[in-house]
Amino acid sequence: MGYSSSLIQRKFKDIVGKRYDSVLKEYSEFLLTEEELLVPEIRSILVPLDFFVHDITDEAIDVLSAYEATISLAYITDAGVVEILERALNQSSTEEFRAKKEEYGRELLERTAAKLEEHGLSTQTRMFVGHKGDDVVQMAKNHDMVALCRRYADGESTDASISPIVLRICQRVETPALIY
Amino acid sequence: MEIVALIAIAVFLFTYALIVDERIHRAVAAMFGAAIVVFIGIVPWEALLDHVDFGTILLLMGMMIIVNTARGSGLFEYIAIRTAKLAKGSPIRVLILFALVTAVVSAFLDNVTTVLLLTPMLLYIAKVMKLNPIPFLVTEIFASNVGGAATLIGDPPNIMIGSATGLSFNEFVIHLGPIMVINMAILLLMMYLIYGRSMKVDPEEREEMVRTLNDLDERAAIVDRSLFNKSLVVIGFVILLFFVHDRIGEILHVVLPFVDPAMGLEPAEVALIGAAILLFWSRQSPEEIFEKIEWPALFFFGGLFVIVGALVETGIIANIAAIMVENVGSTGEAMFIVTWFAAIASAIVDNIPLTAAMIPLIQDLGATMDVYPLWWSLALGACLGGNGTAIGASANVVVIGIAEREGINISFVDFLKVGMLVLFVTVAVGLGILWLKFAM
Repeated sequence: MGYSSSLIQRKFKDIVGKRYDSVLKEYSEFLLTEEELLVPEIRSILVPLDFFVHDITDEAIDVLSAYEATISLAYITDAGVVEILERALNQSSTEEFRAKKEEYGRELLERTAAKLEEHGLSTQTRMFVGHKGDDVVQMAKNHDMVALCRRYADGESTDASISPIVLRICQRVETPALIY
Repeated sequence: MEIVALIAIAVFLFTYALIVDERIHRAVAAMFGAAIVVFIGIVPWEALLDHVDFGTILLLMGMMIIVNTARGSGLFEYIAIRTAKLAKGSPIRVLILFALVTAVVSAFLDNVTTVLLLTPMLLYIAKVMKLNPIPFLVTEIFASNVGGAATLIGDPPNIMIGSATGLSFNEFVIHLGPIMVINMAILLLMMYLIYGRSMKVDPEEREEMVRTLNDLDERAAIVDRSLFNKSLVVIGFVILLFFVHDRIGEILHVVLPFVDPAMGLEPAEVALIGAAILLFWSRQSPEEIFEKIEWPALFFFGGLFVIVGALVETGIIANIAAIMVENVGSTGEAMFIVTWFAAIASAIVDNIPLTAAMIPLIQDLGATMDVYPLWWSLALGACLGGNGTAIGASANVVVIGIAEREGINISFVDFLKVGMLVLFVTVAVGLGILWLKFAM
């Protein structure tokens, strides 16, 4: 920093004191930040589904419709649960569990895709056994946005809280995340 | 020369050097210098009370209370957003409108607060327009100094001159107001010629800018609607009172016959009355508002008055005045010297300490010549001289300091090139008009 620059900063500090910080705080209430000024380009949106996500809300569809993006629906069965079942039950029972899970997943995927397509959105579907948190974070790198149901990977709790896995995913993904 | 005179000069020069360099807070430097001359008895207690211009200090304090109370309502942010929307996406219109708003607000309220609150908005607009913000910021600085020069309360040098001489608010408006209107027009033309070509925005971006700015809700800026309305009323009342402060007795006598028609109010009294009304009416916490008074600035002024008082007490000011009287042949010549000296010295030293030193000098000249035109010369030179360099006036430091914090570098030399041009043109025009009025 040159002499003139440090001189200005010294004088600025003496004249303004801490007033500029409070002015900035007041303006931040209604001026957009540099990040907010940039309109992100959203071409693909990842929507993870599982046993606990029963539906996609109309409000979420309204938001997703604002983008001309392809929706990737991914039904994930928890690999840990499958592993425990494999150890605890015999092979035919495990297969039966898998088949029932797949059937449920397929139905949910088809139902959700149909609902989204009704609103003019194009969809892709996939189903796999994996980790509900890590795999979503990994897949999010190939998408421009993630839309998460607050019940995803949660359980059948009846309160209105957001699933801890959803919060963890939001903390870890670099893309914008929508919770519905 | 006596030893005390040498000490007074040394303290004066040392303190002014510290103020220019600002390694030590200007208020501390001024207080320390004052402490030395008081400690060794150059300025005794009785004289100290004479030298400290309480008119200036109380006027500043009153206006600080009014501005800080009004600030809490979101008034300035409201003005900034309204101005931005009025520009309708045209960069030139942004430049002109913000310059005019800055000049008008600076003419009646403190320059530092004005630019402190308008600069973030200008930076935001420049960002939205994807334009270089420097032309807007530089114009804002010049507009603040030109606008502030138009009234008694617009700029600290004028406050100090008004308080020391008893010149009325209307006299400032009559003698300096038209000069500053002309100078604003010249300034805008100069800025257009210098920066106009770099202010092109393609229609698509302009549309996006209008959309972004229209999304801003000026009503959301109003934090406290009741305080907002009360602030507007009180500021309006105070400005009205300034226009009639020297003949308030005549007006009051009509409705209150016991009031002496010869009574007048000092500008400081007007500001403190306004502050009292706003505090009483708004029910704002006095502790919070008084905390926001810029005490360092007030102590800075106090210290300067004592240091300059030491020069008066030791006869140095009288000697300089005598030399000037011997060598100056006419009022016009004195006007020329005072104006240009004040302008150039203000650009280097900062116009507040410069004015503090010049006031007793001109008062001493008053013993042998008509100094009335010289007060306008001093006001003109000190206020517009502030435009010359990045450190010439507080508004310059604030805007350039904010820009630097936001990663925009306005170098000292770059500012100097435009600032000196503005200084010479506006001071020459102002001096020409004063010359026609008083020296022809």
